[in-house]
Amino acid sequence: MSAQSRHYLIIWFWLVGLVVLSVAAAWILPKSQAWVLIFTVAGAKAFLVARHYMHLKDETWLIYAIALVPLAFVFVLLIALFPDFVYHLTRR
Amino acid sequence: MVTNARTMDGSLEPAGKAGTWWFLSSEIPTFGGLLVSYIVLRLGGSGWAEASSHLNLNIALANTFLLLTSSMTIVMAHAAVQENDHKRAAKFLALTVLLGLSFLIMKALEYGVEIRHGFLPGSGIFWSFYYGMTGLHALHVFAGIIVNLVLCIQAARGSLAPNGHRIELAGLYWHFVDIVWIFLFPLLYLA
Repeated sequence: MSAQSRHYLIIWFWLVGLVVLSVAAAWILPKSQAWVLIFTVAGAKAFLVARHYMHLKDETWLIYAIALVPLAFVFVLLIALFPDFVYHLTRR
Repeated sequence: MVTNARTMDGSLEPAGKAGTWWFLSSEIPTFGGLLVSYIVLRLGGSGWAEASSHLNLNIALANTFLLLTSSMTIVMAHAAVQENDHKRAAKFLALTVLLGLSFLIMKALEYGVEIRHGFLPGSGIFWSFYYGMTGLHALHVFAGIIVNLVLCIQAARGSLAPNGHRIELAGLYWHFVDIVWIFLFPLLYLA
């Protein structure tokens, strides 16, 4: 097995380990703490796939720009809609 | 033949790769919009956790394992083609196709169980989101399977040699589909 293939296999073990961690967190931790951990772990898994399997670590600024601009828009959408659900929460 | 596109700083980028990233960037608002709507509505409403408790976590866990493994096998196919080992690339692509098909079969089984229990897309807002998001994702998996199958046949026949970079492009799409599932899984099954 080449060094590159071994590297991909190690990333896969990390990904599976992180899935186990998020499921364990959902069972063991209180809901609010579990949410934070579960979505941090999901972000870490996405980062590992993008950086190592999609080879973002070797890409030029152009690819980063193409990938990050729509992500920024989604983040803006999330922030823009936050006041709406806070309003509904406070009315309950 | 691989065509290159010159970027503004003068560096060369395979045109197919930039095009694939453009395509994926157009997919981000599609899935991102759905995920954000789901999060906002769920945080502002009630009864979502009760509805999601009817989902089958075991099937979803198995599907997560299948998709993560298929991401690894397609990147192994890419590594094989970089080493000019097209037969090995074909084997890894075949494995990727099998794992993708297994994902869809498991998803169909899960839908069957939920429908038998009376949970249909019109059974409530959670179920509308659930079927909408996972159905759209499953369609993407199906499209990826077709692309990977075509590449697998080409690699097995030895006709992929001048276009080996296509495995990387198919892989980018497949990994994106995997990343979407990475967020769908906790949002629907764990939260």
